[in-house]
Amino acid sequence: MVNAFWYFVMVPMVYIAVVWCLVGIVVRIVQVVREPSPPHTLRIFRDDESPDDPSGAGLGPALWDAFTMPSVRRYQPVFWVFLMVFHVSLLVLVPAHLDVLPQINILSAESPHMLGNGAVGVLFTVSLAYFLLRRFKGPVREVSVASDYLLLVLLLSIAITGDVISWGNSWTEQGFVITKQEFGQYMTSLLALSFADPLKFLPGTHYVVIGTHILLVNLLLMFLPFSNLMHTCFAVPLNVLRRG
Amino acid sequence: MEVSKRQELLTLMADKMNRAVRLYLENCSRCGTCIDACHAYASTRDVRFSAVGRAQNVRRLFENYFRITGKVAPWLSDAETLDEAWMDRLYETAFSCTGCRRCMVYCPFGIDTQQIQAIAKALLIGMDMDPKPLTMRARGEIDKAKNLELTRQKLEKELTGVEKELVEKYPSLEGKEIVPLDKEGANVLYVSMAEKPSIASGAAILNAAGESWSLSYFEAVNFGAFAGNANMSEQIYRRIVDEAERLRVKELVICECGTAYRIMKHMIGRRSFRVISILELVARYLREGRIKLDKSVIEGTVTYHDPCQIARNSGVYEAPRNVIRALTDNFAEMIPNRSENWCCGGGGGLVIAQEPEFRMMTSRIKAEQVRAAGADIVATACEMCLAQLKDLNDEFELEMDVKLVSDLVYEALVFS
Repeated sequence: MVNAFWYFVMVPMVYIAVVWCLVGIVVRIVQVVREPSPPHTLRIFRDDESPDDPSGAGLGPALWDAFTMPSVRRYQPVFWVFLMVFHVSLLVLVPAHLDVLPQINILSAESPHMLGNGAVGVLFTVSLAYFLLRRFKGPVREVSVASDYLLLVLLLSIAITGDVISWGNSWTEQGFVITKQEFGQYMTSLLALSFADPLKFLPGTHYVVIGTHILLVNLLLMFLPFSNLMHTCFAVPLNVLRRG
Repeated sequence: MEVSKRQELLTLMADKMNRAVRLYLENCSRCGTCIDACHAYASTRDVRFSAVGRAQNVRRLFENYFRITGKVAPWLSDAETLDEAWMDRLYETAFSCTGCRRCMVYCPFGIDTQQIQAIAKALLIGMDMDPKPLTMRARGEIDKAKNLELTRQKLEKELTGVEKELVEKYPSLEGKEIVPLDKEGANVLYVSMAEKPSIASGAAILNAAGESWSLSYFEAVNFGAFAGNANMSEQIYRRIVDEAERLRVKELVICECGTAYRIMKHMIGRRSFRVISILELVARYLREGRIKLDKSVIEGTVTYHDPCQIARNSGVYEAPRNVIRALTDNFAEMIPNRSENWCCGGGGGLVIAQEPEFRMMTSRIKAEQVRAAGADIVATACEMCLAQLKDLNDEFELEMDVKLVSDLVYEALVFS
């Protein structure tokens, strides 16, 4: 029964979550695109701009604003440091997970380590812990709603289980409880739609931790289209509106 | 609230939805970066008056009626029911927002609180809860266009006084056409405020520059925009657009009225004429040597308050400064300034719609900023800001003179 549960989480639910997430994202984007354009410009002007000056407008400056968040850097520098750590870590963690696949070799296929060597995951966790603590303090607490906490708890739980998996890889004298190559076999089987039992590839003792990590990621993927994590898709268009 | 009324209001809310508004409502992370941006929050430390605090009142309705998450799990997003109590809450935050958009400078996504509050205002109008002084004035403006002959007669009566004042000040104008009306093919159509001083200073500047110009029948201020009534706002600006197109003028020059300038500059679409502010025109005349100012007239240090709608929301930063530098060598910047300048607290029609006690309470930070500038004169380029700054001057005993830049120009104008 327990094995059947983890099988569901680690195989069919992964497909369900991914499809759910992609369809949800598309629906959200379509909802936005179908709305009429705003009737006039919503631009605000920087100090060095003038009414008929188009130099500060457009996609380039909007991309800069979206990816470097200069306003947060100026007004909340500590928050900005954690935001940058979080987003850069996330950018590293995506290829780090893909690198587990034998077909992708950012690090050599024989390397026992994931890209970032566990440190990136810790930085990711610390920044999330900061975001969560920040929500319990001052005016930010007054404006936060349940979904803000839920999202951060979910992300933090994913990060912590990921850190445990990374740390657990050095638990035995022989080396690793579950090797990167074994993870690779599991992910390959997922990509191949083989519906194979992950227990075949992941024999180690912390299989349940991996299962929990994947369960939480599945839940995040399913929640993502309904959450403000959709700013991943919309941060640039929003900044285009501000830049005019 | 009756079901049919609620449905009617929700239809109004749906009508206000566009791509930008949906993005603004759906993507706020409530990170709180905007909280310190609002002068009302900075003055009161009440989160209801922060940008995100105000926006949440609308966002929580949006969650309930426009998003599946609000229907399935309302506790997740604090989704709220639209009822009388919530309408009172909307009023409290919508008609205390000046629409200064300073929060947009802070927000990492650039969420426009003014656009979100436009939804709240639409709902309040639907409930007949709009501030009546604004709506009444908006109706008056629209009526002016309906009876043009009567409007002309009243204006001509007003102009007699203006022309008399100008001839007394500049005798060389005697016998000339001082304030032209209906001048087809003029370079400039000047849109003043309804009050005499705004007409007089504009007329003096335009005559001193030897400009070919005509005075608009209509005042620049747009009370429909202040009330949040898009329909009225359009009827009000259309009067001026139609007049400018009828007279085939090259430039539409807006007096020192922030909202009027922003509307005419950025919201009326492509037209056959160019829109500029009177201070941009004065700066150009100074640059071209078409007018001269006597620097000995203005005494003491002058500081400048950037009106939100002219500066941050329209990009007119340097022209007023260039004019002030031509007026005096004692110019001191307010800190912060330009896009970061604090709102005066009277914009968005609040000078008319809100009790003075509230405006003073929420503008303490502005009074402190003005005091710190240590100037003798605080100049600005918006009539609403002028009225609010005068109130602040009295309330907080700032002991400064509060003036429009164009009035300073009028005082120092060398009329050859």
